[in-house]
Amino acid sequence: MIGVQTKSTASRLIGHALIIGLCLLVAFPLYWMLVTSVRPSSDFFNISLFPTGFTLEHYQYVLSNLPFGRLFLNTAAMASARTLAQVLTALLAAYAFARWNFVGKRFLFAMFTFTWLVPQQVTMIPNYVLVSQLGWLNALAGLIVPSMVSTFALFLLFQQIKGFPQDLFDAARVDGGSSWMILWQVLVPNLRAVIASLAILQFISAWNDYFWPLLVSNRMETGVLQLGLQAFFTQEGDLWGPMMAAATLTALPIFVVYVILQRQVVDSFIKSGLR
Amino acid sequence: MADELQMPFASRRTVSRPLVQTPRVRLNLERVQPFLYLLPALVLVFIWVYRPLIEIVGLSFNQWNLLPTSPKTPVGWANYQLVLGLPEIHRALLNTLVYTLGLLPFSIVIPIVIAIFTYGIRGRASTLYRAIIFTPVIIAPVVVTVLWRWILHPYSGVVNKGLQNLFGLAPINFMGDPLLMIPTITFITGWGLVGFCTLIFASSLTNINRDYLEAAAIDGANYWQIIRRVMLPLLSPSILFVTLLTVLFSSQWTFVHINILSLSSFRATTSNIYTVLYDYGFRSFNIGISSASAVLMFIGFGAIAIIFLWLQNRFSFYDS
Repeated sequence: MIGVQTKSTASRLIGHALIIGLCLLVAFPLYWMLVTSVRPSSDFFNISLFPTGFTLEHYQYVLSNLPFGRLFLNTAAMASARTLAQVLTALLAAYAFARWNFVGKRFLFAMFTFTWLVPQQVTMIPNYVLVSQLGWLNALAGLIVPSMVSTFALFLLFQQIKGFPQDLFDAARVDGGSSWMILWQVLVPNLRAVIASLAILQFISAWNDYFWPLLVSNRMETGVLQLGLQAFFTQEGDLWGPMMAAATLTALPIFVVYVILQRQVVDSFIKSGLR
Repeated sequence: MADELQMPFASRRTVSRPLVQTPRVRLNLERVQPFLYLLPALVLVFIWVYRPLIEIVGLSFNQWNLLPTSPKTPVGWANYQLVLGLPEIHRALLNTLVYTLGLLPFSIVIPIVIAIFTYGIRGRASTLYRAIIFTPVIIAPVVVTVLWRWILHPYSGVVNKGLQNLFGLAPINFMGDPLLMIPTITFITGWGLVGFCTLIFASSLTNINRDYLEAAAIDGANYWQIIRRVMLPLLSPSILFVTLLTVLFSSQWTFVHINILSLSSFRATTSNIYTVLYDYGFRSFNIGISSASAVLMFIGFGAIAIIFLWLQNRFSFYDS
């Protein structure tokens, strides 16, 4: 014990130095984005590392040149609907897999596992065609419905429900509870924390989704923030103050969620990576 | 199991006493129940994953331009022959390999080094470090692209201005010089990845039983020996897993940056397999070529995943 502890004193210093370096590499660009977004145009080519002056002109420019409110609402609607649907479908399916033994269980479970190997780029053309046949191009439904199920959410909840003491199910059953009641009155209240962090994860990835919206929406009124930012970038390429203001606004909602809930977010992301 | 054993008995009973219907009906409901819960997820997975997977195979044997009004012409294996001979595809495959190899230092080497050196750091400092290095994961990829475009701007970007002021270097056009574009895109993607991977390795190190390290130290192993002989072998499942993630997902991770930074020029220089699939499908509307490449890519990635799973079962050391 002593050996390990003392030998790592020098290495611990190196450790701190390395990780502080990494923190700076990570934090500086984000800091620079903020500083640039509030730096007055008159001062623009100043590269002082610290803020010089403060202005909201770039934010005003963005808000008057980009239908930000609209994009924001669309993105929020898409992310919330996807999250709700993914958690719900995953909860029901995970409950089925964790509670019952039934014919074809292994096959069906494998069917869900296998979807992990099917990238969106393989299915994009048939899915695009179907969405367009349904008349869902440039519509919220087209952004939401194809992403209403998440295998990742299913596996996460499956692990959790499987770890649930079987006695609780049995006790509830003896009390005459149907499986539906047991799900909502016994299981869900106990899984509240897991469901909450899962929902945060799914919300973040839906908010940041770029590829699918790129295919199915090409108008500002029906688009999402990520596409708005891209359009702004191609049109106003060299207006860096407004550019950084738009980037800040796009990242801000998620960033706020992250700052408030960072511990849960980090923990559940890492667990998701490990499983 | 118990249900299956009871089944014949229950049905025999209903035959002999036809009036008692309830047990049988209830039994059937019980049997159907799990499927009812599975139904929404199953239907969605079938419609949005398996249906298109089957359809893409069909499309790969046709020529089509994505217009609903224009007919699909069957062309046999012609698309596959074309795909195998197309220089754009060869280029994209080569680039994909370069991106993947270029990302490994960010997803494996740097994270392991940092995780090992920070092993044992606990408390407030560690919580703060974690919170900071994780941040890029939650920042939208589009934001990341735009942000780095500004930081690396040839004339007004902070990196070039810094280099100019400190060393008098001429502006480096990180995102406009064909030779520098792939390294730059790899770096930006790596920036988004390195913190997350560090946390994965750090978390599997904390799961390692401390007794192993202490036993090794008591046996007289020095720090490097502990790292090489104890920590790295115990990390091997995570190393394999993160390598698999990098190989399977590097194209997905780089896609956004390539697509935004190379909207028209440098498209061919920076392409990876996903951008060529996207370009053939949605820019030149050559659905046959795009579908045939998609099928081949799917088979390729499937084979890679199987090899990795086999390796994992074969070579990983588990801490049991």
